[in-house]
Amino acid sequence: MTQHLTEKDVRAIAQYVRIGLPEEEVGQLSIDLNNIIDSLKPITTYDLEGVEPTYHPIDGLSNVMREDAKGRSLTQEEALARASRQQDGCFVVPAILGGGDAS
Amino acid sequence: MKRLPEVLRDWEAVIGLEVHTELTTLNTKMFCGCALEFGAAPNSHTCPVCLGLPGALPVPNKAAIESIVLAGLATNCEIEKESMFYRKNYTYPDISSNFQITQGPVAFCMRGWMDLDVDGAAAHERVDLKEAREQGSYTTRIGITRIHMEEDAGKLNHVGSVDGRIAGATHSLVDYNRCSTPLIELVTEPDFRTPEEARLFMQKLRQIYLALGISDCSMEEGSLRCDGNISLRRRGEARLGTKTELKNMNSFKNLHDGLVYEICRQAEVLEEGGIIYQETRHWDPTARHTIMMRQKETADDYRYFPEPNLTPFVLSDDFIEGIRARLPELPDDKAKRFQADFGLSAYDVRHLVEQRSTADFFEACMEAAGGVGAGGGAVPGGAEGVKPLAKPLANLIINDVAGYLNANDGTDLADTALTPARAVELVRLLADGAVSSKQAKEVFAAILAEDKDPQAIVAERGMEQVSDTGAIEVVVEAVLAENPDKVAQYQGGKTGLMGFFVGQCMKAMGGQGNPKVINELLAKKLG
Amino acid sequence: MTNFAAYGVREIRDGIAAKDFSAREVAASCLANIAAADTEVHAFLEVSEALALGQADKIDAAISEGRLAECGILAGVPVAFKDNMNQLGTHTTCSSRMLAEYRSSYGATCVEKAIGAGAIPLGKLNMDEFAFGSSTETSYFGATRNPWDTGRVPGGSSGGSAAAVASAQACVTLGSDTGGSIRQPASFCGVVGVKPSYGVVSRYGVVGFASSLDQVGPLARTVEDAAFALNAISGLDLRDCMSKDTQTDFTARLAEGVSGMRVGIVPAFMEAPGLDGEVKAKVEEAAENLEKLGATFVEVDLPHAQAAMSAYYVLGPCEAFSNLARFDSVRYGYCDPGHADLGSQYEASRGKGFGMETCRRIMLGSYLLSAGVYDTYYYPAAQVRTLITHDYRQAFEKVACILAPVTPRTAFRFGEISDPTLMYLSDMFTVSVNIAGNGGMSLPVGLGADSGLPVGVQLISPQFKDENMIQAAAALESCYDHVRIAPGFAEGKAGAR
Repeated sequence: MTQHLTEKDVRAIAQYVRIGLPEEEVGQLSIDLNNIIDSLKPITTYDLEGVEPTYHPIDGLSNVMREDAKGRSLTQEEALARASRQQDGCFVVPAILGGGDAS
Repeated sequence: MKRLPEVLRDWEAVIGLEVHTELTTLNTKMFCGCALEFGAAPNSHTCPVCLGLPGALPVPNKAAIESIVLAGLATNCEIEKESMFYRKNYTYPDISSNFQITQGPVAFCMRGWMDLDVDGAAAHERVDLKEAREQGSYTTRIGITRIHMEEDAGKLNHVGSVDGRIAGATHSLVDYNRCSTPLIELVTEPDFRTPEEARLFMQKLRQIYLALGISDCSMEEGSLRCDGNISLRRRGEARLGTKTELKNMNSFKNLHDGLVYEICRQAEVLEEGGIIYQETRHWDPTARHTIMMRQKETADDYRYFPEPNLTPFVLSDDFIEGIRARLPELPDDKAKRFQADFGLSAYDVRHLVEQRSTADFFEACMEAAGGVGAGGGAVPGGAEGVKPLAKPLANLIINDVAGYLNANDGTDLADTALTPARAVELVRLLADGAVSSKQAKEVFAAILAEDKDPQAIVAERGMEQVSDTGAIEVVVEAVLAENPDKVAQYQGGKTGLMGFFVGQCMKAMGGQGNPKVINELLAKKLG
Repeated sequence: MTNFAAYGVREIRDGIAAKDFSAREVAASCLANIAAADTEVHAFLEVSEALALGQADKIDAAISEGRLAECGILAGVPVAFKDNMNQLGTHTTCSSRMLAEYRSSYGATCVEKAIGAGAIPLGKLNMDEFAFGSSTETSYFGATRNPWDTGRVPGGSSGGSAAAVASAQACVTLGSDTGGSIRQPASFCGVVGVKPSYGVVSRYGVVGFASSLDQVGPLARTVEDAAFALNAISGLDLRDCMSKDTQTDFTARLAEGVSGMRVGIVPAFMEAPGLDGEVKAKVEEAAENLEKLGATFVEVDLPHAQAAMSAYYVLGPCEAFSNLARFDSVRYGYCDPGHADLGSQYEASRGKGFGMETCRRIMLGSYLLSAGVYDTYYYPAAQVRTLITHDYRQAFEKVACILAPVTPRTAFRFGEISDPTLMYLSDMFTVSVNIAGNGGMSLPVGLGADSGLPVGVQLISPQFKDENMIQAAAALESCYDHVRIAPGFAEGKAGAR
């Protein structure tokens, strides 16, 4: 088996995808992920020179759009109904440490 | 810190802009039917799609696609026949699904450009350009890399910190009303060399977008936003320096001032032997400096991949030409037409078309004066008759009207008492010598304040200018008789005294004498 | 007490129209049966009694007022939905702790269409968490048991959907299939499972796993029942850009037979290592039966099919990583309490809210899309997708449909497969169909000679020619007279109390 990911890599990926991993699960998860990535090897063995990629399975389907017409919105109450915390009509998150990417 | 002209003698500034524009004039969001409405109660314009509820799917707004193609055509872009939407993945609470739908390597609009005419003091900042040095003006072409379609994020309000800053906040409130507002992002080539060029570009881009009617382009409310990338290199050097990204330039002035500061800051760091770090900085207009927001050690990895829920776009020639047919007259074309039709100067037309409202008002005035047909072209025969009014009308609009609008921020010209008919009447009174230019300013103010016609104001205030030669002659003779010594000095060669005599006559007539007639009579009498 | 859930669509619809029994009787009997039978099977996560009875009363009112035409093609038919489908008035949990408390705020198009066609909604069905799995063992709410042998898995991810039909707790259920999630459990439970061509059924309101592969379809005990259900739920939906108006009546060719039909068989599939002898024998027997009915067999080659598994395990996790990023504890979903900063709230909520298989797929997808890795896996996988699609297109120039195994073996025991890569092999014959966007279905062909457990065969049709495979399946179905309901469930369990 090729080691594609070290345990350190696995911890870094978990942090990136915002999943808190119990330390005792890191070892087995690393083995599983490496095994799975190993099993993907066939994909790297084909000669794909000049082959166009397919991202959407319906050939020729394009330009699907809608008219700029108003539809039904949720009320503020409906929108917030499933939130863990709310205040003043807004969703609430605890302190944000570190930047994001508000473009 | 050195000042900009001094810095630019030794350093070349390399600036690129990223301009985000919300398509605020559409009815609905980018991928769902929620209404676009600024200032509504928080989270009152959301639905399963823009709230990122499980199972909801995006469907693109056709009018938004049309708008971006319009924007591309108006900025000389090539419209890509085939493009796709991609997902830009990042976790942040302002984007409900934790990915933004945007475009990939191929955007709807690619490889455009815009020409800028630069004059005035800032033209001299281009020490590298011969024409700028010699003529004090130059034209420069700014490359537009691309304009792509994407969706805006929601709004965060940080609570429990100083000035609502994120640092030190205990928690943040999230409002998704703005989330998924259609947004077009224009990226320029790093072709700007001075802050003034960047400012002029933004001003012109805003004029174009307003002319297209695709956005209200309010920098204050954030529907037009601009980030700058700035680096310096020694004059003559080819290699680019490390760039910083500057945010929060929410007015033309802030854009200009922020760039000036950042250029000067970088020059100071470099001249002291320091290093510029690749980082995002924030312009603080109150403190008048930029502050570091975050450093980028590595490029962000957004794990882009094609959005599987949206079909690719294949734009036909028919579609593109159909959009092209909808292009309105753009500010550059309008300026050219004003110059040709009304014999105005390049300076006058540039400022007339700076805002759509003033350009439209000018045209309405010319029409009211009888010189312009409904189609916008000059009416045969009538045009020559009103052509002399064009210059004074342009002056009135560029100086008085624009000044009034600037002083009363947010005022819509259409909501004021100044109608095109009244403006024409005022200019005619002035041209006929019925009021002095000083009186004209008073009448202008009175029109806006009292909602009355210029004739009525003039009559009411008894400010009709006296042009009757007989009446003026009496006054002129009296003034000359009262000042025999000055008459002798004048006749002895001290012609500068003419101003004194005119002033005395005007004083005697309570300011209502026609200065032209007074001058003529004085010259005649003083022989 | 009659168990109406053991009836077919036509029997129920006609019986109600003829006033032999009422929709309310149907609903009441089904609800009573579920209460008893599901303690053994655990197919249901939620039983929507009020919704079922309300709908039944609506049908009965229409019938008594003579508005028969308004009742729809599924009038009075007891159905249930996989729990990744939003339905107003129910939870949508995706069998995850993350959504354990989540209540739908809108209805999925497939659900609303089924109900609009008169179906009686009995409740929501168990599945692998977020559809990641082939056994329903990854459900946060516990596994569903195979009605044929409750020591075995029902397959997955639509395990609840297959088990509910096999145990006569519903007449028709809806499932979703990203790589085999309708066909494999249908095979394990001995029922019909149809994954239509991508685009036939709207995905709007169905919680996305891999959006370019996901497709909704029916599970039923007969081909005809599945075709009726497909007629009800298919069609253009302006809320799903990928939905197509195919204008197909899937019941039109049920009685046409296969005389003169050219059917493909893929030698590489039949010789695949890992294909159990009893399964292979059943596929061969099905081929013989089709030949007897007048079909001609043609060997077709899918040279890139062996890359389908790796392409699937690249594309699926990549899309899933992104689709599941929305579960972040802010707007909905499990929120771990007491965190002072958002980062730790995210990590604790997602760490505790997601099961291990879900975490594996998310992390795998994130890795495969990262800079530098994308070009090694994701891009080639998208290219391989082109090749596989091309292979199928070439094959379908010669044949109307393809006969293949569904899955290499019959239902396995709980806990028997713990290595994820071995579990993934369950999908080896099904994923290429999703990759190409074709139609595929599982038809039960009796019990395996060795295991005595249900075996299904797969029929694959060209994209938007789903009626081809349905036609062949209906003909083939007539060759078998085995029961479709697991032993002991046909009469219902309610009466036994």
